[in-house]
Amino acid sequence: MPFLRIDGVSKTFGGDVRHGDVHVIDNVSMDIQAGEFVVYLGPSGCGKTTLMRIVGGLETANSGTIHLDGAKVTGPDRKKGMVFQAYTSFPWLTVVENIRFGTRYRDDISKAEKDEISRHYLELVGLKDFANYYVNRISGGMRQRIAIARTLAAAPDILLMDEPFGALDAQTREFFQYQLLEINREERKAIIFVTHDVEEAVYLADRIFMFLARPATIIEKVQVADHITGERDITVKETEAFFHLRNHIRDLMRDEGRRNEEMAERALMTPEEGGK
Amino acid sequence: MSAVTAIPVDIWMSSYRAVGTLIEPIVDFIRYLPVPALVPLLIIWFGIGETSKIAVLWMGTFFQLVLLIADDAKRVPREFVETGFTLGARSGQITWHIVFRSMLPSVIDNLRITLGWCWTYIIIAEIVAANAGIGHAIWSARRFVMTPEVMAGILTVGIIGLVTDQAIRFVHRRYFRYL
Repeated sequence: MPFLRIDGVSKTFGGDVRHGDVHVIDNVSMDIQAGEFVVYLGPSGCGKTTLMRIVGGLETANSGTIHLDGAKVTGPDRKKGMVFQAYTSFPWLTVVENIRFGTRYRDDISKAEKDEISRHYLELVGLKDFANYYVNRISGGMRQRIAIARTLAAAPDILLMDEPFGALDAQTREFFQYQLLEINREERKAIIFVTHDVEEAVYLADRIFMFLARPATIIEKVQVADHITGERDITVKETEAFFHLRNHIRDLMRDEGRRNEEMAERALMTPEEGGK
Repeated sequence: MSAVTAIPVDIWMSSYRAVGTLIEPIVDFIRYLPVPALVPLLIIWFGIGETSKIAVLWMGTFFQLVLLIADDAKRVPREFVETGFTLGARSGQITWHIVFRSMLPSVIDNLRITLGWCWTYIIIAEIVAANAGIGHAIWSARRFVMTPEVMAGILTVGIIGLVTDQAIRFVHRRYFRYL
């Protein structure tokens, strides 16, 4: 059995009388290996975040199952760390206290080890000079780093990230993407990363799953390592292979998006024409 | 005392939606009853003295506080709670370590505001249902047209109100420096 197995997951949100139920995920299956960096790529609102939340146990699927490390996922816990798009650092704690909060509910380690771990991750995300600041004194990028460090401090088996760099400017973003690759290499933790940014997806992923909007179905799987070889760092973004793959995926997304829109339009037009 | 009873009810209400929908209409109904209108009833039940005073204060503030604090609880970001779960906290721990901690500053603010109303209610209570206290003193002075004594009573109430208000503000600044 693979590290993470998603098996035939579907999800429907109850709609209102007029619009009926909203079918967000349709029969999605995939296997993810330990230490693998997986990116879910798709347009906004296509259900990729919902799928990730189901993996994290924060939502329940209407059908299908998820197994992490052989155990069935039934609810959220420490094994499935989550970094949200919104800032989640606690304002009543300082930077270092926030990171230490990640170890608060661990009973597998001693107090001294918790201090040690907090310090380690504080340094890893480069916030050592800001350790005793309250979070309202620091920038959004730093808050997102706190969230990542806090999640890592809880020692999850898998890291689930929902557009964590969405609110950051281009330079900061690039810096974090590289840091995240480093973390993935050093910690050998599986990561599921949700984004709608093609370049980000190609840069970060071992494997990309492309989703089509509503309901989310996988339209394409891309094994990035087949296209881009060697060490992943910032220079990769300048290579021809990177350009090719990025353009290929972008075109695919555009085509699928257009086809989807046409289908939606046709669906809207039919009843009206029938009435004439 | 209203605070002590209101806060748990609120946390209870915010955690279970069913409880919330059940309690809210009742709270809303009672909230619109003017407290002085209830004073006769409270005198019949509790007689004249401290119990009546406390009952008036409780009636006047509890139902307002329930709504104010329920709003504070609702304003705690959903991601805070979800973060708690993914860090391995159980729901009881989330309630105390995250939800309560997160809403605490605005709860203290609301207590400060409610304390202002308390002064109004306590004077009303003392005028009609007590045999001691500042309100009682003001009312007795009125009977003999002792304007200076009435003024002194009013001033005293104002000053005590100001002092308690400042004290709570001080606590706020001292413990919520991060705001």
